[in-house]
Amino acid sequence: MKEIIAAYNEAIFDANRDRALKIIREAVDNGVAPEDIVFKVVVPALEVMMKGVSETRNVSLAQHFLAAQIAAEVTEDMVARFRKAPAVAGSVVIGTSQGDFHGLGKKIISGCLKALMIEVIDLGLNVPPERFVDEAVAHGAQVIAISSMMVHTALGENGCLKVRQILKQRGLEDKIKVIVGGAPYRHDPNLYKVVRADAWAEDAITAGKVIAGLIKGVRK
Amino acid sequence: MISGMDRLVAAAKGETSDRVPVFCNLIDQGAKELGMTIEEYYSNGEYVAEAQLRMREKYGYDNLWGLFYVGKEAELMGCGKIIFATDGPPNVGQMILKSYDDIDRLVVPQDISSHPAFQEPLKCLNILKKEAGGKYPVCAYVTASMTLPAILMGMEKWMELLLTGPAAVRDELLEKCSDFFKKEITAYRNAGADVIIYANAFGSTDFVPMRMFQELSLPWMERDLKPVGTDGVVYYCGGARMNAVLGQVIERLGLGTYYLSPFDDIAEGKKIIGGRGLTCGVINDIRLIDWSKEEIRSEVKRMMDAGKPGRKFLFGTLVMPYVIPEENIRAMLEAAYEFGGLGGDDK
Repeated sequence: MKEIIAAYNEAIFDANRDRALKIIREAVDNGVAPEDIVFKVVVPALEVMMKGVSETRNVSLAQHFLAAQIAAEVTEDMVARFRKAPAVAGSVVIGTSQGDFHGLGKKIISGCLKALMIEVIDLGLNVPPERFVDEAVAHGAQVIAISSMMVHTALGENGCLKVRQILKQRGLEDKIKVIVGGAPYRHDPNLYKVVRADAWAEDAITAGKVIAGLIKGVRK
Repeated sequence: MISGMDRLVAAAKGETSDRVPVFCNLIDQGAKELGMTIEEYYSNGEYVAEAQLRMREKYGYDNLWGLFYVGKEAELMGCGKIIFATDGPPNVGQMILKSYDDIDRLVVPQDISSHPAFQEPLKCLNILKKEAGGKYPVCAYVTASMTLPAILMGMEKWMELLLTGPAAVRDELLEKCSDFFKKEITAYRNAGADVIIYANAFGSTDFVPMRMFQELSLPWMERDLKPVGTDGVVYYCGGARMNAVLGQVIERLGLGTYYLSPFDDIAEGKKIIGGRGLTCGVINDIRLIDWSKEEIRSEVKRMMDAGKPGRKFLFGTLVMPYVIPEENIRAMLEAAYEFGGLGGDDK
């Protein structure tokens, strides 16, 4: 198992999708349980990458992107082979703020969340604030995740600020938490407070962990 | 009287001037300056030129911009839909590459200078050159081949093609984007641009692993720049860090100016560049939205203290969000003029 984990981690760091998938295929062929593939290989690899980010910051967006995509792909494949269907940890609606057409960050986060057994409802790009809340209610989601690449779409009146206002008006603040992310928040780590979000994350893998924490908090 | 161009030339040569040159990227703010909506403002090159000249005069910094918005390059490549915001830069509203087949069909315009989408920027550049040519460097923004696909097909799809797509398709797109780059830089130079910001965020190691930077980004940077030369070209990664690759870029391309990230250590960057080019220290200008005047002064002083010794230093801004209060722009610039003064030992 140790060799599989090391080889998989290396493939992920090299952003080599084909090699990563080959390692997983071979592991399955050699009798490694699908549950172990997800919980002992795929998810820990995301954590190793997160550690790399926080310690050296020398992990590129491409590595995040691939790690998340491979994690989502492998998890989906493995879950279908689980002996017992895994419990869904919770649900998130995700999208970019109104006026924002940059979907890369959102896609990376979605991949990480799927590997963490969190259901993702992807609302796409340029999402109006009312829709974030309506969809969260419709799907019983515990978290709304808003991605913004530009300052004006992060701070604008139709972004997170409006989502917060609607949640408050409808008395949903205890039931639905809001997380934000994207370039403006990395440049100013206090900005999430200005837009009245509950949390932010510097990168997609950290976001997965923070969202899992928010879901737990709501479910308590 | 010393002009912005004098300051820039002196800094590039490591010679004496009154202060460190200051590049301030006020772009969409021009609309506010003229009391217009952003959409109206970008409809006419005369408006952009007038606002650029007015803002430079009002604040006293050292550069002028011929940039409208980044999506202008997508328009030059065939995009017909730009979405204008009321408080920020316009967005590309239609990705012209929706499938890999579209890459094969993509046609690079033969001549940028006569392209309808270039006429307003051209008008703007002509006015800037007429009014301030030789006194203040006129800047143009040209996107590198590794980064341009992001505004033609979206960041997400470009990342997918780059990492997992067919290499032949990727290379065909890069080839076309590099061809476009060479034509665009030529058009801007012919129109009188003195400084070319060579924007390559996607080719940086914040976006791709070091191995890919070495095997793909660097070779494509060479293919972009070797045929057209590096005169006036500034290496810029849109806020992505570059200290880790500075040595390689200098060795392979020998550009004149390196526009660091706010997250790069200025002193370290300057040490790596080692006098082989001009170092631009860049303020994290998103913080200007809510920093106090004291915080702004202290940050500018820290940056100048790190970059000024040994000269060959330029002070720059990044995206300058529209919502930064005017008094904070002034506070930053006043601090830059004060702490960037080249007196006594600095000279």
